[in-house]
Amino acid sequence: MSMIDLFAMRDTFNRQQIMLCFNGPISRSLIEEIGNALRNYLAADHAHPSAAMDVFAVYIEMTQNIRHYTRDRGWSEQDSSATVVVSRDDNGHYVVSSGNLIEAADGEVLVSSIEALGQLDKVQLKAAYKEQLRRPRDAEVSSGAGLGLIDIARKSSEPLKAVLQPADNGKAFFSLRAVI
Amino acid sequence: MTDITIAGTQSTPDIRTEWSTGRLFMQGDSYPENSYELFNQIFEWIERFLADGGRPLSLELNLLYLNTSSIKAMMDIFDLLEAAHQEHKPVAVNWYYDQRNERVAELAEEFKEDCSFPFEIIPSPQA
Repeated sequence: MSMIDLFAMRDTFNRQQIMLCFNGPISRSLIEEIGNALRNYLAADHAHPSAAMDVFAVYIEMTQNIRHYTRDRGWSEQDSSATVVVSRDDNGHYVVSSGNLIEAADGEVLVSSIEALGQLDKVQLKAAYKEQLRRPRDAEVSSGAGLGLIDIARKSSEPLKAVLQPADNGKAFFSLRAVI
Repeated sequence: MTDITIAGTQSTPDIRTEWSTGRLFMQGDSYPENSYELFNQIFEWIERFLADGGRPLSLELNLLYLNTSSIKAMMDIFDLLEAAHQEHKPVAVNWYYDQRNERVAELAEEFKEDCSFPFEIIPSPQA
């Protein structure tokens, strides 16, 4: 077995301006611990308090969405893996990306509802947010654009980008990117 | 009447009630995965207080970041206060925030939009 080339990995991370990344089963306490590290990095990076709060909020909503989805379906911890990356783009914006396995059919619904959110301006997003907030808890569609996704869209400076890639056993890998 | 005292954690706020003075204090971040259990205790305390008589109730908030699950729970609490206000019961919210973080003021403003009872958003120079 060849040794993992950490030097090359580090170089990739640095070139893509990746501040923080995680891949694996994600627990409630892990979300908190990584979130804590993220807040410290943002403070050390002299992020404006509002920007830091937006990045943290988007990270929390993305990871808790993944937890809720996998728990609702009773998936094993291994299937409840998440891939999370916080980076900066060339314009200095913070970028929060997350990916996880989902049922392919749920993925189609999710991607189209994210594309629909992309058509809304800030005022329309706020209206959608307030409407979703008033919806009874049991009427929330767990695979559609719930409150968390609308909140992420509101905190983003450009439309959310979602990609679906086919995986085994009727599942797909869902990737979501938010530019703050 | 029993008061509630819940020490905060990294993802949950400090919560304290004062039945004798009609005040409820919440301070810190709130982003538990499931906010229902935590907020339900507060909701029930407020319901009992409002049912007990016409004494004034005020929520003294120093809340910072709320995840959407906590926002939904807070909305339920403000709806409860709004219903009491419609019955002419004296209720109020004072939400204190650090001026350096305008996101907290924006969050409070969005709640205030749906409330007709006294709802003050108060900048404080220190955190």
